[in-house]
Amino acid sequence: MRDAAFWVLAALMLGGAAVVVTARSLVRAAFGLAAALIATAGIYLLLTAPLLAAVQILLYTGGVLTLVVFAIVVVGGEVSGAMYRKPLAAAALSAGTFIALSSAVRGLPSRPPVAGLDAGAAIGVSLFVRDYAVPFELLSVLLLAAVIGALLLARKDGPA
Amino acid sequence: MSVASVLWLAFAVFSVGLFGLLARRHAIAALLSIELMFNAVNLAIVGLSWSRGILSGVVLVLFAIAITVAEIAVGLSLVLLAARRAKTVVLDDLSELRG
Amino acid sequence: MTAAFWVLGGPAAAFAAIALVPPLRRSGRAAAYLAVAGSVVSLGAALALAAPFFLGTGVPSAVTALWAPVAGGGAIRFGLLVDGLSASMAALVALVALLVQVYSLAYMDQESKPALGRYFAYHALFAFAMQGLVLAHNLLQTYVFWELVGLGSYLLIGFYWEKPEAGRAALKAFWTTRIGDVGFALGLLVLWGATGTFVFTELFAGTADGTYAVAPIVLGLAGIYVGAMGKSAQVPLHVWLPDAMEGPTPVSALIHAATMVAAGVYLMVRVSPLLAYAPGLCAAILAIGVTTALLAGSLAIVERDLKRVLAYSTVSQLGMMMAAIGAGAPQAAYFHLLTHAFFKALLFLTAGSILHAVHTGDLFGMGRLARRMPVTAACFAAGALALAGVAPTAGFFSKDEILGAVLLGGHPIAFGLLVVNAALTAFYIGRAFFLAMGGAFGPAGHPHESPWLMTAPMIVLAAGALLGGALTPAVPRLLAASISPPVAEAGKPPMLVAALGTLAALAGFSAAWMGYQRRSFVPARVHAALGPLTTILARRYFVDDAFVFVYRRLYLGGSAAVGWFDRYVLDGAVNALAWWTWLFAGRLRRLQNGRVQDALYALVAGVILLAWLALSR
Repeated sequence: MRDAAFWVLAALMLGGAAVVVTARSLVRAAFGLAAALIATAGIYLLLTAPLLAAVQILLYTGGVLTLVVFAIVVVGGEVSGAMYRKPLAAAALSAGTFIALSSAVRGLPSRPPVAGLDAGAAIGVSLFVRDYAVPFELLSVLLLAAVIGALLLARKDGPA
Repeated sequence: MSVASVLWLAFAVFSVGLFGLLARRHAIAALLSIELMFNAVNLAIVGLSWSRGILSGVVLVLFAIAITVAEIAVGLSLVLLAARRAKTVVLDDLSELRG
Repeated sequence: MTAAFWVLGGPAAAFAAIALVPPLRRSGRAAAYLAVAGSVVSLGAALALAAPFFLGTGVPSAVTALWAPVAGGGAIRFGLLVDGLSASMAALVALVALLVQVYSLAYMDQESKPALGRYFAYHALFAFAMQGLVLAHNLLQTYVFWELVGLGSYLLIGFYWEKPEAGRAALKAFWTTRIGDVGFALGLLVLWGATGTFVFTELFAGTADGTYAVAPIVLGLAGIYVGAMGKSAQVPLHVWLPDAMEGPTPVSALIHAATMVAAGVYLMVRVSPLLAYAPGLCAAILAIGVTTALLAGSLAIVERDLKRVLAYSTVSQLGMMMAAIGAGAPQAAYFHLLTHAFFKALLFLTAGSILHAVHTGDLFGMGRLARRMPVTAACFAAGALALAGVAPTAGFFSKDEILGAVLLGGHPIAFGLLVVNAALTAFYIGRAFFLAMGGAFGPAGHPHESPWLMTAPMIVLAAGALLGGALTPAVPRLLAASISPPVAEAGKPPMLVAALGTLAALAGFSAAWMGYQRRSFVPARVHAALGPLTTILARRYFVDDAFVFVYRRLYLGGSAAVGWFDRYVLDGAVNALAWWTWLFAGRLRRLQNGRVQDALYALVAGVILLAWLALSR
């Protein structure tokens, strides 16, 4: 049962990725990305990390993708002329990357692992209190910087 | 469903995203491809973390998602700026930073 | 021994004074008198040096000073060598130089004052250089003064530098003798490499007792002969001498009769003890000498210009002297050198006297001068008789010795050719005499006899030309100590030689008299009848053309080839390198085109590499 779900979600994810790189219309590409992100959320569920799945859908799909769609609306979602530049070289390099990465897939446990990534409370404690408190605060500074930067860059009369 | 298949999937999506980043001419399409790559990496980390039964992978991915959000915000602002200033979003035409 | 210094010092001081004191030079006459004074000093000292050797009581001596140390403990010394050969030659040079300078006082009186000063400065320089050559103690010193003599000749030939022909003639003389000098220098190098010494006495002694190998000595001798070829106008390096007539006539009398051209013969006489070891070289010297004599003699009979007739005559006589050296009789060559100096300088001075009077050198533009210029005519006649070798002039004795030496040395063909040359000699000089002094035509204007400053030196030389035969027994005494071991005396020439020589001279004179005085036949018709032969003579046997060909086609062609190589191969290689650099630079430039996706390619490639390296452990 689980396996079947995984394979379906995998197909969805790959299909969405394919749409992202091959759609001429950017809106279509954005929706392809949405599909891939949602599929990922599904796989997170299968990997017993429901918190992560929720965050994925809320932030990634809901936030990032909305931003992207707005940007596409403002900027224009079609490109005149060819869609790709140097597709052969890019394909070669991508294939090379895949092969290089594939050598990492060894020495992995073959039995299905235990469940247990759904301890939300444990995550919270680890995140806010014990291990990652300082990085958490720094992250908020980062987000502030990003917001200010984005505002500055996107002002009507430019960042000057 | 095993860790290996999760990793294979992640690597495949990563490679597709890399192709899109290298080959597509529209700036936002490149950004979307970057998102794909990020997503694949997150998936891989979670998969590995699940296989060992430790939580730090999940926390790392939480951080990564947050950073990704920041990054996409700034990136899209840059694209808007480029569209307004240079009147183009084709990456090939945005080539003044050279020498 | 100090007299030797005065032989050189007189002219050297005169030259230094005139050259370093511009007002002296610009004053003209004062410079002339100073040069003449230097010559008088030089002559006095030279006679003092030579007298003992003429009397047979002289002892060779040398005084040297260190010139340059040589690695390995040796040294090159420069100095003055005084023996019969050098002392007599020094006296000759000083005498002729003095007579020519006195003659010039009257001949060059139309020149501007600064030009006159320059003229006498050059004369003094030349005299100094020539005496240095004559009294040289070793071959290297000879070479140094040899070059200085060449410089003096260049300056004097090109004296009328406003005339382009004079400049060209001076350059031609310099370059042609330079070709010979290259051979001389190479010979010096070979000798130094083989023996480590330049000193004459050491070279003679070392070769005789076997210290030095013969082969390099012969090679060095060949190089020295090439140098002598240049200075003494042997074929094919003779082409400069006729053109050198562009210089003032007294200069021709000094340089191209008595001194500079004789330097080659003098040098060969000086090194003649070594010629015994080089029979092949001697054969070549003989052949070239005879060829030169005949070639120049044949060219002299068709010349229109009086001075050029004399120039070719000089070349011909030099050929005879070299032939004597090649036949193994250096004393005959030296004797002829001495007598030739007298009668050829005399002939040139009379030519100058004629030029001074009628302002043209064209033989067909003058005539009937015998009546107007009796002294000149008499001197001309004396010189002509001596040149043709009519008894009892000095020329008869010296030519006789050469002919006898050639015959007794076992060269009958050369002997026959030289007899033919004797006939030619008499013909051309007779032709010149009858055309100038006799003949039916006369020049325009009123030619008159020359002033005493010009006639006096001519008379002195005429006396020497006529009476010099008395020196015949003295010559072996002079050379006895210099040429050691002495070359075997070939014995007195048989009467056959004297008879043939006189016959040839008579034949030549009669032909000239009949053709140009009596007009029994018209020489112009003979010219036309001989057709192609005349053309060959007119083009001077194409020797000048050969030089031009070598220069234009071979030398300039070679230069063009080298230039092509430089431009297309060497430069081409560099240019190709540059082109490749541009090409690759253009390609590499595209890495930095500011396009982010291109940079990503490099990034990704690096990541793949690192991943592979990291993961394949």
